[in-house]
Amino acid sequence: MFLLFGLLWLPTALAQGEASTPPAADEEGDLPSPEAAPSQPADAEDPSDAGEDPYALSPEELAEIEAALGADAAALPQPTQPSLPQGLQGPATSSAPAGQRGAVNLQSMNPNLSFIADVALAGFNSDEPLQTGGHDPTTNGFNLQQLELSVGSAVDPYFRFDSNIVFSQFGVEIEEVYATTLGLPGRFQLRTGQFLTRFGRINNTHPHAWSFVDQPFAIGRIFGGEGNRGLGLEGSVLLPLPWYVELVASSTMANGASTARSFWGAQDLGVRSPADLQTTAALKQFFPLSDNWSLMTGLSYAVGPNASGRDNHSEVYGGDLYLRYRPISAGSWTIVSLTSEWMLRRRQISGDVLSDVNSYTQLFWQFARRWAVAARYELGTAPWDLSGEVALDPLDPSWTDLRQRTSANVTFWPTEFSRLRLQTAADMHSGRRTPDLSVFLACEFVVGAHGAHKF
Amino acid sequence: MRTLLLTLLSFLLLPGAAFADVRVVASIPDLAAIAKEVGGEHVKVTSLALPTQDPHFVDAKPNLALELSKADLLLVAGLQLEVGWLPSLQTGARNAKIQTGSLGYLDCSQFVQLLQVPVQKVDRSMGDIHPGGNPHYLYDPRRVKDVAAGIAGRLAQLDPEWAEHYATHLADFQARLDDAIVRWERDLAGLRGQPVIGFHMSWPYLADWLGIEMVEHIEPKPGIPPTPAHVARVLGVARERGVKIILQEVYYPTTTADLIADKSGAKVVVLQGGPDVRGGQGWIAYMDGQVAALKAGVSK
Repeated sequence: MFLLFGLLWLPTALAQGEASTPPAADEEGDLPSPEAAPSQPADAEDPSDAGEDPYALSPEELAEIEAALGADAAALPQPTQPSLPQGLQGPATSSAPAGQRGAVNLQSMNPNLSFIADVALAGFNSDEPLQTGGHDPTTNGFNLQQLELSVGSAVDPYFRFDSNIVFSQFGVEIEEVYATTLGLPGRFQLRTGQFLTRFGRINNTHPHAWSFVDQPFAIGRIFGGEGNRGLGLEGSVLLPLPWYVELVASSTMANGASTARSFWGAQDLGVRSPADLQTTAALKQFFPLSDNWSLMTGLSYAVGPNASGRDNHSEVYGGDLYLRYRPISAGSWTIVSLTSEWMLRRRQISGDVLSDVNSYTQLFWQFARRWAVAARYELGTAPWDLSGEVALDPLDPSWTDLRQRTSANVTFWPTEFSRLRLQTAADMHSGRRTPDLSVFLACEFVVGAHGAHKF
Repeated sequence: MRTLLLTLLSFLLLPGAAFADVRVVASIPDLAAIAKEVGGEHVKVTSLALPTQDPHFVDAKPNLALELSKADLLLVAGLQLEVGWLPSLQTGARNAKIQTGSLGYLDCSQFVQLLQVPVQKVDRSMGDIHPGGNPHYLYDPRRVKDVAAGIAGRLAQLDPEWAEHYATHLADFQARLDDAIVRWERDLAGLRGQPVIGFHMSWPYLADWLGIEMVEHIEPKPGIPPTPAHVARVLGVARERGVKIILQEVYYPTTTADLIADKSGAKVVVLQGGPDVRGGQGWIAYMDGQVAALKAGVSK
């Protein structure tokens, strides 16, 4: 409904904007002469012979246009080509010399495709590694972490399409496929399809954007190895404030053993009311402290049903912080960033509530054009019950004490399309007498369209 | 009544859009400065990248999306120069006006005669190559004249009441640019036919304008850092051809260039990546500085 309103509103908004612009006082009282305007022949015909804004319309005329558009829309059950704003000059009509654009035009209608391959050589001192990430290396020897196919393109002037399809050695998985609105009024945005929720900082990202070979165990423990995602609808808005404040809310299906582990997990008990869906909300703020220093903070909340009993729910509270130093006011390759993310999980079980805290904190330092080092510390407490005692966790029965993992790595990028990373970690878990040690040598290769990085 | 409500709503939802000047956001400072020249006091201009920043690798900071969310016109150099960071900002801006394909999105590469447009299939074994052609066309003031005309044309389309204002400013800018080009060409006449080494492949348009011969680049392929063997080769070329100038932008490191200069007798000329738009520098004043730096290199 809202979406429909937004789409209908767009052309109206354009008309409104032009109509409500006060005709600027022309000092010499001359007519605007479009012929004098250079280039762009499409608008060359003289729009006016009167001494006022040639595009000004009266409210009655606007109402007539709305009515006519409404009638036309009703008469066309399946509009094939939305009409473009007048005078639109796409690259296809560019004034560049003929022949120069041939190759571009041939590819123009294809979506942007790229493949990202992650392979790793891994060594563990344990026969049963504790890795929780769905794309983590998990066995001694060679691992195919993933082959990700990213497909993205504008659908039409109103939506863009994005999808990440992941191939493993044993099958294909639609990790994400969603459409995003491009220009709803009021700086709103809707996303629908299957998507990673924007809970916290790392959950919404893919291994290509990570500073470590593996996923923080906080994500695997709370949401599952694939990260928190689901089929659903997300709305977000940029608040009209002088600094960047984004509010995000989404509703997604609460099932999935590796995507909604603390909610319904592997079970799907059927949606009978909105309370049977996972609801996620987040507030993200960005502070450009200076040209060189940036700070991003986030607060997140997720709630949904869990499978421990009728009407039992799980909640996750999250806080994240990202501090980045990159001296852009002087030529330099240096980047230093500090990321810290904390999650408190509370789960209703029959007659009790289980709580635990999980976090990771990582420091990244790119010290040369091609080289970076990073270190990460993670912790996950044992679950405690309402009396504050350590409780048995039905999902992770061996998690009876504080788990801590420390990782460090060095990364070499031959170019921005390839990456080699050597990482080592020590993991102290209550289920093990001695720390689990691991070494990974991971490679990533990217071909195809150049993806656009997020901050 | 409904119209009134919609009008009120549009004021609420698009703060400032109805009454303010045309807000132009440019991906790089050159385009911002050119838009300021042709828009004059009627446009509010910002640049997403700083002149000290490599335009291939700009952080997609959320405050840039905020800037784009309020923009009426987005100017880009195109040819995939901004492909690594601008698309996510455009989507994040939630502003229909500046989405690709809208009237408020202008890819300025369409206005210039491009160079280094591949005629064969390209892939990244050739480095970080731009399949549409070399995107560094704003180092040539003649092409800047064409870009200015294109920007003025689009401003006139977006804001037809002020079409004459844009035409006047454009004519004035182009006239000043014509005078300046004569002056610059005179100052740099000594460069004609000179062999020059570049760091990145940023200079075909500058070379085209000034009649410079780019004989080597310190990057063996675009975006690929130099190896010792390649540097040795570049040094050999510098000595053999009597190269006097090594050209690079301020955001690339100078150690390798300094070494080659030291061993070959050439001089390193570091050029700005664009005008200081925030400091109010106009495009011609900026180019005066670039020409002065080049001239100092020639006269050595």
